[in-house]
Amino acid sequence: MGARLISIFRFLFRRRETEQALDAELRYHVDRQTELNRARGLGPEEARREAVLSVGGVEALKDDCREARTGRFLETLWQDVRYGMRVLLKNRAFSLAAILTLALGIGANTAIFSLVYGVLLRPLPYQDGSQLVVLHQLNTKAANANFPFSVKDLNDYGQQNHTLEGIVEHHTMVFLLSDSSTAERVQTAVVSGNFFDVLGVRPLLGRTFVDADDQMDAAPVIVLSYKFWQQHRNGDPAIVGKIFQMNSKPHTVIGVLPPIPQYPNESDLYMTSVQCPTRSSNGFKNNRRARMMIAFARIKPGLTVNQAQADLSVVATQIERANPDAYPKQGGYAMSAVPLRDDLTHTARTTFFILLGGAGFVLLIACANVANLMLARLLRLEREIAVRAALGASKARLLRQLLTESLLVSMTGGLLGLALAPLALSVLVKFAARYSTRATEVRMDAPVLLFTLLIAVGTGILFGLAPAFSSASRAAEALKQGSGRTTAGRGRQALRSGLVVAQVAVSFVLLMGAGLMLRSFIKLTEVNPGFRTDHLLSLRMTPNFAKYSKTSQIPTLMDSIMRHVTAIHGVESATLVSNVPLSPSGIASGPGNNDFLIYGRTPSPGELAPTVDITVADGNYFRTIGQAIVAGRDFTLHDDDKVPPVAVINQTMARHNWPSGDPVGQRMAFAFKPDAWITVVGVVADTREYGLAKPTKSEIYMPMAQNYPNSVTATVGGFTGNLIVRSSIDPLSMTPAIRVALNDVDPFMGLDQIGTLENFQYESVAAPRVTTTLLGIFAALALLISSSGIAAVMTLSVTQRTRELGIRMALGAERKAIVAMVVRQGLTLALIGVAVGICGAMALTRLLSTLLYSTSPTDVLTFLAVSLVFLTVGALACFVPARQVTTIDPLIALREE
Amino acid sequence: MKKPKSDLLQGTLDLLILKTLELESMHGWGISQRIQQISESVLQVNQGSLYPALHRLEEQGWITANWKASENNRQAKYYSLTKRGRSQLVEERQNWLRLSAAVGRIVGTA
Repeated sequence: MGARLISIFRFLFRRRETEQALDAELRYHVDRQTELNRARGLGPEEARREAVLSVGGVEALKDDCREARTGRFLETLWQDVRYGMRVLLKNRAFSLAAILTLALGIGANTAIFSLVYGVLLRPLPYQDGSQLVVLHQLNTKAANANFPFSVKDLNDYGQQNHTLEGIVEHHTMVFLLSDSSTAERVQTAVVSGNFFDVLGVRPLLGRTFVDADDQMDAAPVIVLSYKFWQQHRNGDPAIVGKIFQMNSKPHTVIGVLPPIPQYPNESDLYMTSVQCPTRSSNGFKNNRRARMMIAFARIKPGLTVNQAQADLSVVATQIERANPDAYPKQGGYAMSAVPLRDDLTHTARTTFFILLGGAGFVLLIACANVANLMLARLLRLEREIAVRAALGASKARLLRQLLTESLLVSMTGGLLGLALAPLALSVLVKFAARYSTRATEVRMDAPVLLFTLLIAVGTGILFGLAPAFSSASRAAEALKQGSGRTTAGRGRQALRSGLVVAQVAVSFVLLMGAGLMLRSFIKLTEVNPGFRTDHLLSLRMTPNFAKYSKTSQIPTLMDSIMRHVTAIHGVESATLVSNVPLSPSGIASGPGNNDFLIYGRTPSPGELAPTVDITVADGNYFRTIGQAIVAGRDFTLHDDDKVPPVAVINQTMARHNWPSGDPVGQRMAFAFKPDAWITVVGVVADTREYGLAKPTKSEIYMPMAQNYPNSVTATVGGFTGNLIVRSSIDPLSMTPAIRVALNDVDPFMGLDQIGTLENFQYESVAAPRVTTTLLGIFAALALLISSSGIAAVMTLSVTQRTRELGIRMALGAERKAIVAMVVRQGLTLALIGVAVGICGAMALTRLLSTLLYSTSPTDVLTFLAVSLVFLTVGALACFVPARQVTTIDPLIALREE
Repeated sequence: MKKPKSDLLQGTLDLLILKTLELESMHGWGISQRIQQISESVLQVNQGSLYPALHRLEEQGWITANWKASENNRQAKYYSLTKRGRSQLVEERQNWLRLSAAVGRIVGTA
């Protein structure tokens, strides 16, 4: 090894010396041999000649000696690189076109791969993350119905399994966190005492929970998330030990988490399960059907997910047999364990892999184009190559030379692509954040750079090999053709045409993908959200809750807010509501699933209770957002805590629960408060509350005035924190006036999540919009590249056939007929490509089906439109070679020989 | 040079070079002369393969080279065995003896 390094070093830095030494050594030998020959009686000339002959030619011998050295390969490489550079610099247009095409392709692939790697492939930032699973209880008889866990479910699984190290629970609640001066609402994750141990998360500061923190009489403690600690506590280094009030109890901060993605959602802080008022109530703990939690588990070391799954299925059967009433009937109950990483990223998987596939396609098309450019250039170089082959260049050496050249192009393209990728990446990370909390882990690090290097080398070899092989094998033949210009061999023409057909086919598939996404996206934007989104402004208010500790102060505060806001000029109406339809926070959390009972109906054993999402609003809500009342009545001012509770339900809830009767006048109660019967007084039109593409869920609206004391929703102390204003003018322009008005109500009022509902709607389809746009860009690139491919190949074919075409013209062929012939040939290539593309698209667009909104992956209209685009582009591409035909002068063409 | 000549077996040249250098360091021309002398001109080393072989052996670290004045007072490149070269020689010689004995038995009994 050492000798080898020295040899390489010698090659790199002491080449001249080595060469001189070799010279001297051989000269010495020849001189001595000459002397010997002279001694044998030869004349001086003859002696020297014999001596030189005896070594078989000095130069050849030198070469053999150099060959014996390791540094040798570097030398030829250096030669090849220099030669390649010269060639590329001489053919600027070719090099530029090739490098730019590849830079775009490689850049796109690098950026998309960063996403795929960061979100989908990178190992979880938890210790032994591959052993972590998410548990789901399933009702396999219902479509897509996995339901959460109750305390009893979890205890049974914890005690009866043999494959898990530990099961931990998790649910989120909104609480009020206050100290002596401020109070703010916090998204709180309520977890088991061993939650962080099972996940393998070490704290940044302090400690995480231990089992003792999760005992009934334990002192309340909390762990802050990194983000919350940074943004709301200014990264206070002395935060550990500080005490805050939550749920009227002092909670001590014991630790801060490192900046890792949280699962299943970002929470501000963590508390143990015994501190959550709902979770720790006896009514909840003893009710097997009171289900709220999700569960994670760590599989014992050495066991696989499949083994754990098999074990859990056995436990599921036992539990179901012991408690038949608490699980879905007819044997539809099942338990599933999904690797945490899959569960964390499953929404992103399809989209990201489709984008990576799209980028990969673009690169393939670019490769085909560069290969074609290389082929065309080689055609002109053929005689040079033939001469070099005749002078003794081995086939391998010629191949290596050509490959060096294509690798030079691809590596330069790769470097440029690497420079372009970060530009796209910042946009893409925002896009990825809509899919997974792991987006924060996206960066261009070693694995990504390695990927880029691999595809740069791969593409170089790919587009270098085809021309290289066809070239070396044809070298001898080219030389035989004497002084005449070389004509395209049938084989090579076929290779070029094949490349073009492949380009068109792959582009077709891409364009189909983009076309389908576009069609689906248009349908998505045409979805009626169920209310009038125009002229609506929404704001989330966070008063200093410490000032409103008595619940009686909250209604006063809300009254005051309404009086001040409705007095603003330009406000047509205003309303307070617990959840704003299509708002980013609402879409992120999704609908709640609250079990409820219907008065007079006894659920049959094993029947899962119906569930509903709850919205709390004041009496102006439906009028303000323009949601139609289809039966019964709206809330009135009289629906307050002095009269029996009432509710308005949406059409979906009415249809599901009272399919044949009138729901108005019927009564229902929530499972968490089964003796408080609520009368349905009205039915409203369905809205797309949690996303335009999401089918409407059952929704119940409760009047705010009846919900101050015992809040059932994610409101704090009965404060319904979202203000929606309908204005007669541009809603955003109302913001300053509203700020002033709210400042009059409470100078410490925090305002955030400000936006128009039109913007919320626009943002809600941002992910499909970006996907569509990206696929569209890929498709446009593909179309551009492949049409230039058609044009280039046809132009080359015309150039090569100038003489033939000249003869045809001289013999009386009309120019028009020849142009028609060229166009026909070009279009034939395009047609074959389209035909292959249709087959490919039929096979591949199925992959898109989960991303499409009410659009079939084999949508005929899209297929027709895309085919038409291709034929048009194909015809346009033939325009270039057709022009070429018109410049042919038969006389000159014939004289060229 | 009247005796019939044999082509050198592949790899045998390495052994010959190492063996020749066992006693003293030598330059390329000297090595070729020595091999011819000792083999009583049966083996004629093709100079075209001697020098590449020397460079290859040097590359492998079995021999090392330095310049010094030769017998006719000119600077010449002298090769000498390294420590690794010596153990290589032992090994190659054993190989050769085994091989030639085996071939001898076959040829002798045929």
